[in-house]
Amino acid sequence: MNIRSWLLALVLIAPAALLLAFGPRGRVEIPDNRRVIRYWEKWTGVEGRAITDLVDRFNNTVGAQRGLFVEYNAVSNIEQRLLIATAGGDPPDLAGLIDSRVPQYAAQNALLPLDDLVRDAAIDLELLKPIWLELGRYDGKLYALPSTPFTIALYYNRTLFRQAGLDPDRPPQTIAELDQAVERLTRRDEQGKITQLGFTMSPAMLGWWSWVWPNFFDGRLWDGQRYALDSSAGVAAAEWIWQMRERLGRQAALDFEAAAGPIESAENPFLSGRLAMVFQGPWMANWIRNYAPSLDYAVAPFPSSTTGRRHVFASADVFVIPAGAKHPRDAMVFLAWMQRPDVLEELCKRHGKVSPFRTPRSAFFDGHPNPFVRVFDEIASSPDAFGFPGMPMWAQVEAELLNLMQTLLRGNRSPEQAIRYTQQRIDLIVNEYQHMAAKRRGEQ
Amino acid sequence: MTRNPPRTRGPSNLLAGLLWTSPWWLGFLLFLAIPMGWSLYISLCDYSLLQPPVFIGGANYQRLASDPVFHQVVRNTLVYSLLSVPLSTIVAVALALLLNQSVRGQAFFRACVFLPTIVPLTAAAVVWMWMLNPQAGIFNQPWHWAGLSPPNWFNSAGSAMAALVIISVWFVGSPTVIFLAGLQEIPEELYEAAMLDGAGPPRRFWHVTLPALSPVVLFNLIIAILTAWQIFALPYILWRGQPGPDGGAYFYTMYLFDNAFRFLKMGYASAMAWIQLLIILLMTALIFLASRRLVHYRGA
Repeated sequence: MNIRSWLLALVLIAPAALLLAFGPRGRVEIPDNRRVIRYWEKWTGVEGRAITDLVDRFNNTVGAQRGLFVEYNAVSNIEQRLLIATAGGDPPDLAGLIDSRVPQYAAQNALLPLDDLVRDAAIDLELLKPIWLELGRYDGKLYALPSTPFTIALYYNRTLFRQAGLDPDRPPQTIAELDQAVERLTRRDEQGKITQLGFTMSPAMLGWWSWVWPNFFDGRLWDGQRYALDSSAGVAAAEWIWQMRERLGRQAALDFEAAAGPIESAENPFLSGRLAMVFQGPWMANWIRNYAPSLDYAVAPFPSSTTGRRHVFASADVFVIPAGAKHPRDAMVFLAWMQRPDVLEELCKRHGKVSPFRTPRSAFFDGHPNPFVRVFDEIASSPDAFGFPGMPMWAQVEAELLNLMQTLLRGNRSPEQAIRYTQQRIDLIVNEYQHMAAKRRGEQ
Repeated sequence: MTRNPPRTRGPSNLLAGLLWTSPWWLGFLLFLAIPMGWSLYISLCDYSLLQPPVFIGGANYQRLASDPVFHQVVRNTLVYSLLSVPLSTIVAVALALLLNQSVRGQAFFRACVFLPTIVPLTAAAVVWMWMLNPQAGIFNQPWHWAGLSPPNWFNSAGSAMAALVIISVWFVGSPTVIFLAGLQEIPEELYEAAMLDGAGPPRRFWHVTLPALSPVVLFNLIIAILTAWQIFALPYILWRGQPGPDGGAYFYTMYLFDNAFRFLKMGYASAMAWIQLLIILLMTALIFLASRRLVHYRGA
């Protein structure tokens, strides 16, 4: 080899050698004599930093005293990975899931019931608002504790309210008032094309929860045996969606919705002033701050069909202990520490979510990234708050309900036909599931 | 003088052969044959991954026969493959012919055609989302110039399919390179003979280029069909994991994935995987059958 070849080899090898010697380490250095608690979460970025700060604090304090060490891993597609790890018999000791998955995993015996562990760890569940515990229960047992909970409310553009002659300090109180506001807030050009929309349930325009609407008509469709889409609340919600589309003009609304830009950009239709009202969560404030800081908006509870009732959709990221976890009791030590109001509220605040506690500390609201966090927090106490239906086969049912929403928005079938068809599909899914569950019980 | 062949020692030769070929057959057994056998078994079971499989015979296949979503994804995938495979092939052949010309900047043009292939799919999908945006999308400018309303690419089943087929053409870089290699293998004498016979460029293409290129076309067609039947990431990103307008952007592999990992119906998903394999085998067999008359191998 000549000198040039040697130099070239050196230039290529030296950075690799330096990287090996001084570069970042894939694994966290675990101090001696500590039992490791493997904790998988979905959070990265700002949210990831918030939890890693807390994990570090635990490791340096309680963890050091008790000989424990939490090894935090941000895992993409956590649901699938947790599923595979659990099936393979090597799950983490603690994991973060979305609450809607809890019934599905619990019904498959993939999660540990927490009731006894919570009692032994002296976690005071009475401190939590009832809805956040309800979300973690399945079949009478507690499988999940809240990490960062949230409610969904009505964001509305005060400027557009004023322009439409509506009182910006009085958002719609009932579904009927919402309909009237939609009429006044929707604008069209000379060709009849919609240029500004009052409200839409479309998944293309931030309507992420296609299935929630019967709840605002006083219905809770899942009774543990059947999902009664054909109940009066289910029919009323379908009719409401259908009629709102009729009034807007189906094609005009579809054309308008097709041009919705990415939500995390200034093209977000609510941020760009093209959508006057939207059903969204507390994180919306982060996008507003970043992309439309001068937007004059407010937040109110989403109206219900019945005056005086306050139906509120509540959901949460939750902590679970997978079945087969090697150190469940150690994980509970960390969970008990995380459930301390000062710790958990710090996490929730940094994530821009609400506090899970009945009485949040005043420090929680001070400087919270969402200026309307008190609204989100207060509505979680409503006796009419509801979460995802506790159905183990929910993922499949939800897919059918999304199809139903598309059908209603596009007018492919009348509401009666659409409900009949979807009800048949859901009955089939539920019956198949129940049949197999009974067969499994019989085999056991 | 004849030389005796070396004496063979049967069992030890067999052992040595097995040992030396073990990387292949062990890999084949562990990562292909056994998983395939297992998936065939669980396609006859109710299995969620989290609980032991329960044998249910052919129930999964029966359910698939009456599942409207399954019918829809088969239809969508079939339509997509019928549109995108011929279109991509024609465009790739055309591009290869252009890139085969001796012009200045030939290497630059070749790089330009291949570049989209190495762009990460997610980035390409986001760019296409913007290019097809009905208001700001560059792709819709011709409609605006003509004073017409551009199609809402993402908001009807038909236009969603059209959008996906158009985007599939974006990724013709790999087949183009293979066609280009095929073109460069065609002997110059064939063209000279055709020219002496008075054949112009169209006839030279039809009677020389295409027959000589036909084995490469066959290869690319089969690869394109395999790829089309596995379409997943692009519609998944464009419609954020949802089935799209009227389910028009919901494809076979997406429904298979949903059944396996969202609905935890691994048995049902395995049944789908076996049917997918059979469909692809059938289509490949049909193409091979048709190729007997249409594909010309040199020296054959």
